[in-house]
Amino acid sequence: MSLVLDILIATVPLLVIFPTLFAFTTWLERKALARIQNRVGPDKVGVPLTRYGGRFSLFGLGQPMADGIKMLFKENIVPRDADRLFHLLAPILALIPAMLVLCFLPLEFPWTDSLKPVQAFLLDGAVIFFFAITGLNTLAVFMAGWASRNKYSLLGGMRAIAQMVSYEIPLVLSAVVVVMMVGDLNAKEIADFQTGGKWIVGNWFLFTPWGLAAFVIFFIASLAETNRSPFDLPEAESELVAGYFTEYSGFKFALFFLGEYIAMFAISGLAVTLFLGGGAGPGLDAAPWLSVVWFIAKIFVLIGVMIWLRGTLPRLRVDQLMGFAWKFLLPLSILNILVAGFAWHATQQDSKTITVVTWVISLAVLYMTAKGLNQLNRAKVRPRNYRYAE
Amino acid sequence: MSLLGGGILKGMAVTLRNFVGSYFDRDRLTTNDYAWRAGDSLPQHAGEYPKEEGEQLRDTTTVNNYSRNFPMLLHDEGEPMDSIRCVACQICERECPPQCIYIEKSEDKKERGGNKAQFYPAKFDIDVSVCMSCQICVEVCPFDAIVMNSQFELSTPDRFGGLLLRRDDLLKSNGYYHKIHPEEAAARDQRMAEEKAAKEAKKKAAAEAAKKKAEENAKAEAEAGNEKQEDPQ
Repeated sequence: MSLVLDILIATVPLLVIFPTLFAFTTWLERKALARIQNRVGPDKVGVPLTRYGGRFSLFGLGQPMADGIKMLFKENIVPRDADRLFHLLAPILALIPAMLVLCFLPLEFPWTDSLKPVQAFLLDGAVIFFFAITGLNTLAVFMAGWASRNKYSLLGGMRAIAQMVSYEIPLVLSAVVVVMMVGDLNAKEIADFQTGGKWIVGNWFLFTPWGLAAFVIFFIASLAETNRSPFDLPEAESELVAGYFTEYSGFKFALFFLGEYIAMFAISGLAVTLFLGGGAGPGLDAAPWLSVVWFIAKIFVLIGVMIWLRGTLPRLRVDQLMGFAWKFLLPLSILNILVAGFAWHATQQDSKTITVVTWVISLAVLYMTAKGLNQLNRAKVRPRNYRYAE
Repeated sequence: MSLLGGGILKGMAVTLRNFVGSYFDRDRLTTNDYAWRAGDSLPQHAGEYPKEEGEQLRDTTTVNNYSRNFPMLLHDEGEPMDSIRCVACQICERECPPQCIYIEKSEDKKERGGNKAQFYPAKFDIDVSVCMSCQICVEVCPFDAIVMNSQFELSTPDRFGGLLLRRDDLLKSNGYYHKIHPEEAAARDQRMAEEKAAKEAKKKAAAEAAKKKAEENAKAEAEAGNEKQEDPQ
């Protein structure tokens, strides 16, 4: 009995908090994108189950609930020639890995009789497990594309495979830097490593040259992994209708949507763990439960940047997408591992001068390499030679 | 040497400026606030809002001359069916790219607005779930009988019957057209008047020419008669 209770205490918060945050994020995204485009966004739906949403529209905060109810009641349409079993399994498989990896985040919920806060799953190889399980998402996406028996879906699924497999490499290689520095794969150890120091942000990996480079690579690759703009080629609505979930409607579509956003939370959570100090923040000594709040606040900062980028950047072309992963991010992340290795040995000397020099040199090396790679990859634009037209 | 990723940062600055600016500067907003507020009863017709005079000028969704949603059939003053302009020629039905128009021609002819008796549409249905608002029917209509409406409050609980607009739903007076698209309607009326005048002038000229020709013919005949009479001599 107590075992069941323990399991519930550890997992239910994740299953409640993140879907709720998902609903809030859809509202936030619609609002932010609208404001970026000088529109107002949803502002009419108010308190649910009252006539016309009641008198108070609450900035349209009732919109996610209205959307959810609509999704639940919509007709479930499956194409006649679709592979019904895999068509059904794909959205489930898209959601499960995303939900599962939330357990590896160092989120500690403080409500127990003993003073020890509860984490869902404390695993020594958490970072490896994280990447292994998020890799399943590719399968779900391709399964959806294949089972729908629709050209757009299949194209979306094929693009998704190419994109996710390519970007997984820089994603993992940039995380390696942090694992090297900490010497541990345990997510909690990594988060704890970054707490303390003179300032709150003193030990965050974001504020080291190699950490900054790794964070930028990680963030870009995570955009591609979660199919976010500007890497939203698998679901490019102006090219492929909706890509791999063209043929999904009603609750299955909602599951895909949920899975996508939960994956965003999960990968942002990993970025927070690796580079932004986990739950570190002011006021932790007085109230340890604040660490959950800080952690989620940091996730939301990253989600906000993702939304901001979505409102800013146009979609990449397929060749640009693949070129960016293989010709820019991959060499840079490999170099970053080398730089981090040298830097670790240099900082072990415990001399301020050596540390400063290492920082300056590694910053310069990383920046110049990125710049050089950028120059090398620049498309060679020549004046167009017209053969047939005047 | 520019900063790596500087272009992205510049773009993000632009969007940030829009994001923040849209909260402080109302003129930035490209869309107009829907006058309906939570708690109001649902509007029945597009004409009901914006409700206040000041808001009306700002509302480009209904006042804009070229805003369009789905087609409507025009009739002149009087009873709709006594002054309908459509003669059921079915050109629009044939030209419609998504084929959302269905016309049945009447059996009898009917005189309207002082013109000669013509057919009229016994049935004229537009499936607005199919219509793509391309306005090609308006372009091809030789009688200025079909124009675009800007009514957009068309949601209905019946997704088959409710989205099929019948002839009587589509019939709108020229006055209504003037109200929703003043410039376009005025230009159209002017052109129609000019065409009518030109037609009448042409008719008049033709009549005169015919008269003249008849006179000439008569004269020629008379002369021929004279010649004939003179011939035997």
